[in-house]
Amino acid sequence: MAYSDTFKEHLTNPRNAGTLEGADAEVEQSNPVCGDRLRLALRVRGGRVEAARFLAYGCPPTLACGSALAGMLEGMTLDEAGRVTRADITEAAGGLPPRKQHAAALAFETLHEALKLLQT
Amino acid sequence: MRRVYLDHSATTPVDPRVVEAMLPFLTAKFGNPSSVHFYGQEARAAVDRARREVAGLVGARPNEVVFTSGGTESNNLAVRGHCEQNAEHGRHVITTAIEHSSVRGICEALERRDWEVTRLPVYGEGVVRVEDVRAALRPETVLVTVMLANNEIGTVQPVAEIAALVRERREAGQKFLRLHTDAVQAASGMRVDVDELGCDLLSMSAHKLYAPKGVGALYVRRGVRLAPQNIGGHQERERRGGTEAVPLVVAFGEAARLTRLELEERAERVRRLRERFEAGVESRVSDIVHNGDRVRRLPGVSNISFRFIEGEGLLINLDMQGVAVSTGSACSSGSLEPSPVIRALGRDDELARGSIRFSLGKDTTEEEIDYVLEVLPRAVDNLRRLSPLYQKAQGPRACTPA
Repeated sequence: MAYSDTFKEHLTNPRNAGTLEGADAEVEQSNPVCGDRLRLALRVRGGRVEAARFLAYGCPPTLACGSALAGMLEGMTLDEAGRVTRADITEAAGGLPPRKQHAAALAFETLHEALKLLQT
Repeated sequence: MRRVYLDHSATTPVDPRVVEAMLPFLTAKFGNPSSVHFYGQEARAAVDRARREVAGLVGARPNEVVFTSGGTESNNLAVRGHCEQNAEHGRHVITTAIEHSSVRGICEALERRDWEVTRLPVYGEGVVRVEDVRAALRPETVLVTVMLANNEIGTVQPVAEIAALVRERREAGQKFLRLHTDAVQAASGMRVDVDELGCDLLSMSAHKLYAPKGVGALYVRRGVRLAPQNIGGHQERERRGGTEAVPLVVAFGEAARLTRLELEERAERVRRLRERFEAGVESRVSDIVHNGDRVRRLPGVSNISFRFIEGEGLLINLDMQGVAVSTGSACSSGSLEPSPVIRALGRDDELARGSIRFSLGKDTTEEEIDYVLEVLPRAVDNLRRLSPLYQKAQGPRACTPA
């Protein structure tokens, strides 16, 4: 299985890794089949994502998608964040092998859990 | 970039002396060993010489050695060949929970054809217990197949003791019962002797012994009959049809000769380096678990689970720093389940997913080990800082008064 340079870059130098002080939403989702976990924390100011942080456990695609997602969210309005697709996450992660698409799905679900929390 | 290869259980680099021995058989000495003319006889002599060397490595007679395309084919010929040959005498096989995927797959295929298979546990140490074999033996058992050394954790199985049981049963009248052992991993790290082991069938692979991929052998004790799996010409005494892969067979012969001569020295060297490696990891990385019995194992294999992280992420991090290892995580194998071998030790999914196999070779150096000890703790730390499992575990620790 060959991974792209962008993908490996996410893996060795993840963007926005860690926890977030004063987060407005913090969610953790897991893939019940393989046990992968992704935690996402967002701080929102004036309808925009001011800061996004992630933590991830699992196969490299899950780590890369967490990094890609947290990296792209910062600066987005909540509307823009709601329009992020799985394909966007996959692309930002540097591409995923066909069998690893579930990693982007986990990132997508985690994002929507966080957005749901922000709406309530 | 500096590169360190610590994946010798997967395959080994080809020894230049082996390359030199095989080269003439890729050029001038191209004959077919079945041909009667000069070219054929030259090739025949080379195959015979190689057969003597491979037999010599395991204490067998040359005519008990069947050349194959590798370990997987040897295992197929042994297990399927024996079972097909003896189906009328019983349809029960005893194996272990930690066999190589080839033996595992063959056993599953047998079950689909109404065979019964008993898979013995290996407990926390990764070693089968002889009393479990005794308890599993039935009048209709025709084969016991137990690997000599495991490919992931390197643990050495009590094959000689199991052979004694099998022999006892055979002498008591169960004359079709045989013992097969997969020695593909073992041959590079320990002395293997078919009479000391008392096995009837023994699988070998050349590319674990510094020869090229594509050639292996099956030892078949005199008097043991197998249903051939490759039907063709009269090669290999009708046990495996097909023109012999002369250059590869010659390479295997030379590799076997060198292994026989250098085995002790190689084993001692890698054992010392592995001790240095494991001591280094223990002093630099927290929350690790060694997999497999620390004593009963091959000298060059170290299998370690790193808590809170997943193996393939660590593998890629190490690879980006030039260090090649392998992992029991599900990601790597393409399946959803992590390594059945690590799971068979009773480890939970997290530990199975976080397992890494470091396998040293005859040319591994102290400097290489020290380089790995420098980059490994950083790579583990990087991934742990990303891990929600690690953060959770750190929470309570941080609160514990010193």
